[in-house]
Formats: sequence, structure tokens, C-alpha cells
Amino acid sequence: MLKTHLALFLVLVTVALALVLPFLLPWSYDQIDWNAVRAPAFSGSHLFGTDEIGRDRLARLAAGTRITLMVAIAAALVSLIVGIAWGATAGWIGGRVDEVMMRIVDGLYALPFMFIVILLMVVFGRSILLVFVGIGLVEWLTMARVVRGQVMALKQRTFILAAEAAGTPSITIMLRHILPNIAGVALAYLMLTVPQVVMVESFLSFLGLGVQEPLTSLGILVKEGADDMDMTPLGLALPGGLLVMILVCLTIEGERLRDRFS
Amino acid sequence: MTAIPTLLVIILASFFLMRLAPGGPFDGERPLDPATQAALQQAYGLDRPLWEQAWLYISRLVQGDFGPSLVYRDFTVSELIAQGLPISLTLGGLAILLALLIGVTAGLFAAVRAGKATDKTIMMLATVATALPTFVTGPALALFFGLWLGLLPVSGTGEGGAWLIMPVVALALPVSGAIAKLTRAGLASVLKQDHIRSARARGLSETKIMLKHGLRTAMVPVASYLGPAAAGLLTGAVVVETVFGLPGLGRYFVQGALNRDYPLVLGVVTLYAALIILFNLFADLIYGWLDPRMRDG
Amino acid sequence: MSLYTIRNLAVDIAGNRLVEEVSLTVEAGQCTAIIGASGSGKSLTCLTPFGLTPGVASGTMLLDGIDLGNADAVRIRDARRRLTGFIFQQPLTALTPHLTVGAQLQEATMQAGAARPARRELALKLERVGLSRADERLDQFPHRLSGGERQRVMIAAAIAHNPKLLIADEPTSALDASLRAEIMDLLDELRAEQRLGLLLVSHDLASVEGHADQLVVMDKGRVVESGPASDVIADPKQDYTRRLIAATPRLDEPGPKLSQPGEVLLETHLMGVEFARPGWRRGKLQALADANIVVRQGEALAIVGGSGSGKSTLGRAIAGIGPVSQGEIFWDGLPLPERRKRSLAMRRLIQPVFQDPVASLDPQWRVLDIVTEPLRNLRPDLTRVEREELAQQALSEVDLADDFLIRIPVSLSGGQAQRVAIARAIIAAPRLLVLDEATSALDPLVGAGILELLGRLQVENGLSLLFITHDIAAARRLCHRIAVMEDGRIVETGDMQTVVENSRHPATRKLIAAS
Repeated sequence: MLKTHLALFLVLVTVALALVLPFLLPWSYDQIDWNAVRAPAFSGSHLFGTDEIGRDRLARLAAGTRITLMVAIAAALVSLIVGIAWGATAGWIGGRVDEVMMRIVDGLYALPFMFIVILLMVVFGRSILLVFVGIGLVEWLTMARVVRGQVMALKQRTFILAAEAAGTPSITIMLRHILPNIAGVALAYLMLTVPQVVMVESFLSFLGLGVQEPLTSLGILVKEGADDMDMTPLGLALPGGLLVMILVCLTIEGERLRDRFS
Repeated sequence: MTAIPTLLVIILASFFLMRLAPGGPFDGERPLDPATQAALQQAYGLDRPLWEQAWLYISRLVQGDFGPSLVYRDFTVSELIAQGLPISLTLGGLAILLALLIGVTAGLFAAVRAGKATDKTIMMLATVATALPTFVTGPALALFFGLWLGLLPVSGTGEGGAWLIMPVVALALPVSGAIAKLTRAGLASVLKQDHIRSARARGLSETKIMLKHGLRTAMVPVASYLGPAAAGLLTGAVVVETVFGLPGLGRYFVQGALNRDYPLVLGVVTLYAALIILFNLFADLIYGWLDPRMRDG
Repeated sequence: MSLYTIRNLAVDIAGNRLVEEVSLTVEAGQCTAIIGASGSGKSLTCLTPFGLTPGVASGTMLLDGIDLGNADAVRIRDARRRLTGFIFQQPLTALTPHLTVGAQLQEATMQAGAARPARRELALKLERVGLSRADERLDQFPHRLSGGERQRVMIAAAIAHNPKLLIADEPTSALDASLRAEIMDLLDELRAEQRLGLLLVSHDLASVEGHADQLVVMDKGRVVESGPASDVIADPKQDYTRRLIAATPRLDEPGPKLSQPGEVLLETHLMGVEFARPGWRRGKLQALADANIVVRQGEALAIVGGSGSGKSTLGRAIAGIGPVSQGEIFWDGLPLPERRKRSLAMRRLIQPVFQDPVASLDPQWRVLDIVTEPLRNLRPDLTRVEREELAQQALSEVDLADDFLIRIPVSLSGGQAQRVAIARAIIAAPRLLVLDEATSALDPLVGAGILELLGRLQVENGLSLLFITHDIAAARRLCHRIAVMEDGRIVETGDMQTVVENSRHPATRKLIAAS
């Protein structure tokens, strides 16, 4: 059990550590230790050393992970809700309505969404709420397509017709027959959306458009590490490696779930 | 077709978004006196009502005139695009070719040895590759091959093609991973299908079966991925250009967005959207060739 | 010496022995048919000796003097190339979608080493199997052809290189009833013409009767009985064979004893259904036109036709789960509104049962919830306990024990699932059941059991039935009257026995011939 779900296990351990560490470490993520600037790893109370201003790397890593994952889950939930609502409606109603709704999705798919998000960021300022919503809006399209496909296939199944013959009203059919049967696939794609969102958030932060000071995120940490990489490669390797690990683990689990429900 | 209306919607939406943004292109470090500011606004047509501006913009756009850059005062947007586009296109084009080469080969290799250790290893590597963001691999490559080993230039476009190597590799890696997985999945599912059994029943060799009867259908998932892949590459190019200091369109876009250079931003967005739409059409054509059932809609 | 001999064949997959002690022979110019339910091992028996399944075959297998048992993969592939031709069940997926019919036929012709055939030669091959406009077809892709046309292409490709043995794995199961007879006749002709040996697999005894010389009956991986076909059918020695033969409906068996019907219950008047054409095409598709039918209290009416005849459309319109575009339906003299306007009281009167039993049950629900769903809507006066009691009653009426209530659909067999579907349909005491090919997807023995159950319910509960099927012999076991449909219209109606003995319309005669 552990071996097959090793990936999920790793992610959960990371999350747990990120949540618990602030209570265990002597330094917080924005505290500056004037005595230890650019300290290497294992120096005194700084397990991974300090960065170029003197902030504890481990604490920043934990804080960055928390923020990144928080944004990712919130944004993935936004994309889940919008995607399911859109896809289920289009799939269930069918006909012209479905055609129009899906043409919109196809059209939007062609957009360089990143650019729109950047535009939005620039226009409306840098609130964390906008980060959630903006990123969520980038990813709902895939969910909508998948849900719509599933709902359309289910609609033709005779157990839906039998429910209609048994007098079940449409809303009840949707809630008690259709949604439970797409829950598995939706969950799988949710799991696959999270890494996408993490990438988008990190990307924005890297460009300076995402999460803002004093908060930090893995993306910001990677940028700081990249700027400073000729002096201290650790500053890049740590957040970069952690980011990649989280992405890989979530993708593996998500794909496993997706294969199970296809 | 939906292409033109989509394009129009994008242009108008970007246009209004930019205008809505607080602050204008002339809010520099030192506030200008009202008279000069008014004169500049008038010269660039910024004092007219929004609708007029939008109409003027689109009518000029159709003639290929993107307008002047508000920040890079000596250049029109068209000139800036002409400077940056070749670089971005080269990056993107090479990246997708490299990704296809690595991805399809790896996928084929894995599919032929399905179930064995080689297959599992390749697929694990492919998954890891898809999770490698360009802004991590870019600096990492620059660090390793540039600063430490001193083999490749770390920034700017030098002579020859050496400057292309690291950015293209960083861009291509995630896409190649996705293509490898799609290729292998496509082949694995095709080999189970009935028409493969019919071909086998005719006594054809496994190689011939795979190449003649299996490959085209197997490539269908890859073809439908090409559209989103192109979009992804354009976005990834932004990072790569920033990291490696390359004067491509992506970098212009970010600078333009931050400095509220409306025409530049609009021009780049329009161009990118058009490119992606074109690429999607191209991908649809390939799709139709691979699987005739799709041609009839 | 026989063309193809198997002695004591065993097939193992992943360490499990799935087929044991099977022996049979195929003579040149003759047809040996293997009959059995799904899971009986008949496909494995046919295909494994030639390396076309994941299984491993052991025992003696001799084809035209070649010992397949001791041959390596290369020799077996060589045997496939030169000596055998194969026909599979699903014509749609058995042909490569991106190669034209001509390209695939050419490949088949050249597989044994023949020279590249001329286009005229390929067209001739297609004409021989009954395809019209042969020259046009050569350039078409498989998905443009109908199911029957594709199967003919498969047959042409299977014999293109002049093999000695033809192996057909359920070649007509996915086809329409009238097409089945045509394809079987075609195979007979080709067999005689080219002195081919034919090894045929089917789950349906009726489709091979009259065509097979030798019959092999299989069950659970073993041969139950075998011998000359006419002997086995006339005088079966084993109990399983006897049950199988009894379960297969035939038109020459004695007529059933049916109940006496009462007053007119349901009537349709010039009912029609049209659909918009899919995609961007203009115009409408008239799936059903001018349908007039009458069903009496306690009567079973059969609606028989091929695929595309409109019978399902008719059934769904009456059951209120499909559209009605023209005409009217009357129940007990009063108009019955179409789908969206039906009240709950009206829904209680008519309930459907569908073809694929497992697909008609929600995979996430338990049997208890599935069976009581109609009660929750149509009998809101009942308490939960009362509903459960009715569920138990319904299950016992369909011969299922109470412990089925907590099972989920994926754990049920086809027969059990269909019984659950019937229990759901009768639980709210309807007056009419609309059965849309309710036994077509089931194995013959299982299907016969369901037919018996339906007959019993009809008599005991006074139910009226609308029995939609393509199998006229099965309908005869259950129904008083029959309406034959073709191309969306009813072409013949009347008393069942009368129509069967004195059919007037060619469509009816085709359906009778197919039985």
C-alpha cells in the first residue's frame, strides 16, 4: 500500500512538515538574523543556512510551500466548480446550447491564457484573491471538456432513461445519478490540475506578478535562488528540487486515478 | 469559422483591459507638467473617447500597422515585433522539433518493450520531464553548463548557434515528456485493437503491423496535443527569454505589460493569438490525415 | 485425412486452464460449428492454436499435415499467411480505419506471395461477396460502409489469398437478423465453390442450423457433445445440449398457450417521430411514420424488424422516454401526452426494460435503491419500510433471493441484472411493459429463462407487453399478435400464428427466413 502510493505519501509528508515546522523552528520566514548572512547549511540554528539577507532558508521553504499549495488548491477548486458547472450543463442540455458552450471553450482553448492573466494582474493590481481566481480560470477548460464528455456519455445510458420512466425529476437525476458517476473522473482531473496551477503560480511569481512580499512562494524562492545562483546554488536547488518533487508526485497520483476511472 | 471572431474578441478585450488599468504610459518617475502631458496624450491619440481609439486601432491593424510603441519611443510596434519575432519563433520551432524527436522516439522505444523495466524507466523519466518548469531548468542549466563548466553562453545572443542550445532544451523538455507519454499510450492502446488482430491473422510481421496499421492511429493523441503544446511553448518562451536575456517577443510583452505600453502589449497578444489559432488549424489538418474518420465531422 | 484436426486441446492463460480435452475435425468443403455460451471457451479453442490470443495451446493440432503444436511462432505465422483466413465479430473495428478497402484487400491478396493484383481483380472479389458498386468501394474508407458491407469486405479479404481453412469467430452476431441469413448463405456458397473448410463459432444455435455439417457443443471449457449436426439436434444425448436446443426458439415448434386478452388498453394513431440530422446537415430524419398499433389488456404484442426499422423509436415514444413528432397515443380512450408532459400517475402505467441489463442499472447504486426508485416518485405515500417490503416481493417474483438487495450491478450476471431491471419495472404495478430487445444481449439459456419469466408475469399479473425484437421465433413464444416494421413503417400486422404461416410482406418473409 505504501509502495504503490509512495508519491502521495511524499506529498502528504511535505505538506505536514510545511504546516508543522513554523512551530518547531526558532526562526520565522521573514526574520533576519544579522549574525548569519549567507550562512552555509548546518550552521547553528539554520539547518539549511540563510539567504543573502539573512533569512532562514528552511523556514522560507516551509512558508513558500504552504503558500504555493494553498493557492494551488484554492485555484484548482475554482477550476473544478466552474468546469463541472459548465461541462455538466452543456452535456445535459445538449443540442444548440451545448454547441455554443463548447465553441466558446474551443475558442478559449486557443488563447494564450498566460498573457491574459498577466494583463489582469497588471490591470487590477496584485491581490492574492485575484491570483486564486485568475489561475483557476486558466485551468477550468480541461475540466469542462472532460465533464461534458462524461455527462453526454451518461445521458445515453439506459439507466438514465429508466430513471426518467420511473418519474425521477431532472434535478434529482443530475444530483443522484450523474454527479456520483463523474465524481471519480473529476477527482482525478482535480489532482492533475493542482500541478498545473502550481506551475502557473510559480511562473507568475517568478516574473514578479504573483504573490507579493512579505509573503513568499516556491516561485519567488526559485527566482531569488536563480538571481543568486552564482554565489549559492543551494538557494536554487532547494526550492527548485522541492517544487519538481511536488509536481512529479501529484502528477503520478493524478494519472493513476485518471487511469482507474477511464 | 470561429477563428476571426475569436481574434477580434481577444483584441477588443485586451484593448479595454489595458485602458482600464490605473496609470498610463507617461507616469514615469518624474511627474510631467500638465501641459506636456496633455500634448503627449493628444499626439498619441489618448484623449479621444475609448470607442474611437478602438476603432482606429483595428482599422490600422488590418493594414498591418500596430501603432507606435509608447515606451520605446523611437520604434513602432511593428518594428519591435520584427526584431523579436524571429528569435521567439526560432526558439519555439526548434523546441517543438526537438520535443517531437525525443518524445516520439522514447515513446516508440517504451511501447515496443511494454511492461519491461526499460518501459517503466522511460515513462518515469517522461513524467518527471513534464513536471520540470522552464524557470527551474533554465537557471539550473545556465548554472551547470554556463557558470560551472563554462561551455555555453549564459545570456544574450552570441555568434553562431551556441546561445540557442540551453534555452531550446529547457523549453523542449516538458513537451518531450508529454509527447513520449502520449506516443506510448497511443501505441499501447492501438496494439490492443481489433484491426491489429486482423492484420496479425493475415500473417504479417509485427514490425509491418505496427508501422502500417498501427502508427497512424497511435499518433492521433500526439496530433491533438500539438495545439496546446504550441500555446505552452509560447508561454514558456517568455521565461526562457527572461532567464537567458534574449530579446524575444516574450520579454517585450512582459516589459510592455509592466510599463503599460498599450500598443506593444496589444500587438504581441494579437500576434500570439493568431499564431496559436493558425497552429491549431494545422494540427487539425494533420489529425484528419491520420484518422480519416475525423474528416467527415 | 481431415483438413484440420484437434485432439485433446488445452488452453492456459496465466496459469489458469480455461479449455480442456477438446477434440474436433474440419473437412475440406464442410462446416464445423462450435456452439456455446460466452465464457465456454469456444473462441479460445479456435484462435489459440494460431497464436491469436494471449493463451498457450497444448495438445495435437494438425492443419493440412502441419503440426501446429510443435511449431514455433514463425511457422505458425507462416501457416496463417498461406493456409487460413479469419473473420471476426465486429466488422467496424476489424478493418484498419486509415487504409482504404482496396489497400487492405490488396494486402490480403498478396499475403501468401501472389503478385500485385489488378484493380479489376480486386473489384471482382468484392462483387463475389455481394458488394454493389465494387469499383467505388475500393477507394472508400471502412467507416463509410455499413456493418453488413464491412463484414462482406472482411470475408473477401479472408479468402483473397485462397486459403484452405476459414475460421469465423461469431461472424454474424453483430449483424441484423436478415443480414445474418445472407452472410451465412454466402459462406456456404464460397465453401462449396473453393472447397474451403469452415470452422465457425457462435452462441446462437439458430444461426448455424442448416449450415453446419458437424456440431460441437461447449460449456465451461469442455466439449459437452459433438457429432453430425442433424443428429445432435434431432436426438441430443446430453442434458445441457437438450436444454440449449429447447431454449432456442424455432418457428416450427408448437405454439405457446397464451392468456385471453381483454379490452383495448393502448392505441396509437398515425404516430410519427422525426429527428434533426446530426452535425450541420439540413433536413430531418423520419425515424417513424404513420404508426397505428393496438394493445389489449393482458396481451403481448410483438414489434419485429431489423435495425433501423424504427422499432426502438416506437417503443420509447410509447414509454414516454423518446420524442413524438406526429400523431397521438391513447390510453383507455384518453389521450396520453408525450414525454415532457406526462404526469406521475401516467408514468406509473408504462415501464421500460432495456437490452443491455448491466447498463440499465446505475453502477453506483445498490439493488434495493434501484428497485425502489419508481416507488419513491410514483408512490410517495409509502414509508421506507413499506418500500423495502415491496422490493422483496418484487425480487421474489423474478426469482431472486432477498440477499440480492445489497448487491451492486457490477457483481451481477447478465441474467440476474435483467431480472433486477424487470423487478424495478413491475414494482409500482404498471399495466404495460415496453421490452426493447430485452433478451437479445443474453446467452440463449439465460434468455429463454427471461422469456419464461415474462410469460409467467403476464399471466399472473395480467400485464400487457410490447415486445420489441429482431427475433421473430422468440417473439412467437410470448406474443399473441405481431407488427412487422421496416424503414420506419409498419408493413404487416395480425395474429402471430397467421402472420408466420401466411406472411404477405417481403420484410416479414426475410425475418422468418433468418430464424
